[in-house]
Amino acid sequence: MAQPAPKPAAAGAKVIPIKEDSLYESEKKIYARSVSGTFANWRWILVWITQAIFYGLCWLEWNGRQAVLFDIVERKFYLFGLVFWPQDVFYLAVLLIISALALFLFTAVAGRLFCGYACPQTVYTEIFMWVEKLFEGDRAARMKLDAAPLTADKLARKAGKHAVWVAIGLWTGFTFVGYFTPIKTLAASFAGWQLGPWETFWIFFYGFATWGNAGFMREQVCKYMCPYARFQGVMFDPDTLIVTYDAERGEPRGARSKKVDYKAAGKGDCVDCGICVQVCPTGIDIRNGLQYECIGCSACIDACDQVMDKMAYPRGLIRYSTEHALAEHWGRKEIVAHILRPRTLLYGAILSAIVIAAVTGLTLRQPLKVDVIRDRATLAREVEGGLIENVYRLQVMNLAEAPRRFALSVTGLEGIQIVTERVVEAPPASTQAVAVRVRVNPEAGKRGSNPIHFEVRALNHDEVFVREKASFLLP
Amino acid sequence: MKRLIWILWPSFVVAGIAEAVFFTLIDPQELYLFGEPVQYSRAATYSIGFFAFWALCAASSAFTCFLQTGSRELNRCTPPQA
Repeated sequence: MAQPAPKPAAAGAKVIPIKEDSLYESEKKIYARSVSGTFANWRWILVWITQAIFYGLCWLEWNGRQAVLFDIVERKFYLFGLVFWPQDVFYLAVLLIISALALFLFTAVAGRLFCGYACPQTVYTEIFMWVEKLFEGDRAARMKLDAAPLTADKLARKAGKHAVWVAIGLWTGFTFVGYFTPIKTLAASFAGWQLGPWETFWIFFYGFATWGNAGFMREQVCKYMCPYARFQGVMFDPDTLIVTYDAERGEPRGARSKKVDYKAAGKGDCVDCGICVQVCPTGIDIRNGLQYECIGCSACIDACDQVMDKMAYPRGLIRYSTEHALAEHWGRKEIVAHILRPRTLLYGAILSAIVIAAVTGLTLRQPLKVDVIRDRATLAREVEGGLIENVYRLQVMNLAEAPRRFALSVTGLEGIQIVTERVVEAPPASTQAVAVRVRVNPEAGKRGSNPIHFEVRALNHDEVFVREKASFLLP
Repeated sequence: MKRLIWILWPSFVVAGIAEAVFFTLIDPQELYLFGEPVQYSRAATYSIGFFAFWALCAASSAFTCFLQTGSRELNRCTPPQA
């Protein structure tokens, strides 16, 4: 944002220029060189797995409906055989806690595994950079193209790249919306150009975000927008696996002739080719040590290993290692032995406990919920035979994906009974509201509020049973 | 530009959280707008709700940014160095 320029100061006073960092102007565009190798392969495997899940899962059918659907219009979340209602928000909270703890655990063990391989920002950037390379070539070619004046060829290459980027972005946006609106209906209305205004808007919004984040923002999202990048450090300890440069082995770095024994010449293994910097998607030099910008993608490891192979030096000048391992010259065995330590054991124990509790809770969950609301208009009234009547509204929620019939009964006062319909029919995964009139002899309880219980039991499914507390007013 | 990101990005994240929490607890069809029940579809209410949350959060972020202006910028001159 433009700031008013400071007024010229009085003679003699030092002018301290106000340094305004601008995100785009002062940031140098990073032309990451493409890389191949073990870790690059792993990243591509993860790109395929995560995207197969993201683009594919929404098309999967289950019980004659979309298997995974967050139907916000009907306020029901479908996850394969499970149906979640707003009343199940507890499980959402548990899921968030599990995700957070899993992130803590993975970070403590092996640093930013998520960032380097599975984060959508990394995954889409990887895909977009692949497209970019297809149209504009690798690092040097791209730099040359950007510096060159606009020609028909440059225009065609740029236009082609953007066309593919926009297509991927829109497909991503469409898929995203397909998790909230049934995707087959969405596809049908798209084919007939009959998309609703909000669906269209969100497809474009998400598509635009994908295009912008993966095409332009890239590493800046990790450096300036991601909160995880900033607090990851607290989960690191000296036994955390991180991408490290073995300075002891590499230094003093420098170019050398293959004819001379470099060790005799006092040089380390680093030939200072700078390829580790060229491949870095965030543009850092890993040889300066661990930095918060490092997303742990290991591109520099792959790149350096190739150089080491060419020089016939042992691999692993840049490698996954720990602070302790580097200092104590540990091998793989000691590093693995140090994965189990109080911090990881504690994270692991809490995580397992919560996962077990959540799974148990889900397994024991009754496919039936009942809400009892007292009718506020008529508190208590006397009816024929001197009996007292209270009226309630029962919300019977059938969570099962089959139609069910439920038997209603009431307990708590002697002779208390329901005088209205005692069987409720509920379609699959639906809520049925029923007005229930309950009568009892006034002698059965004390004046005022008396605790009673409504019991709802599924017919032919005796195990599906809910007992809900209510109060009966006697005048 | 950086300031724009400071204002729009954290408010976007918080608006997302606020949206999820608010509409999990409250059904948009049970809301009242100027004393009248909300007539819009749920999709519309969710979307409008999100942008309302985003706008409010952005206003808060913008206020924070505004208050962070240093005295040097406000005075528009450089005081002599001590």
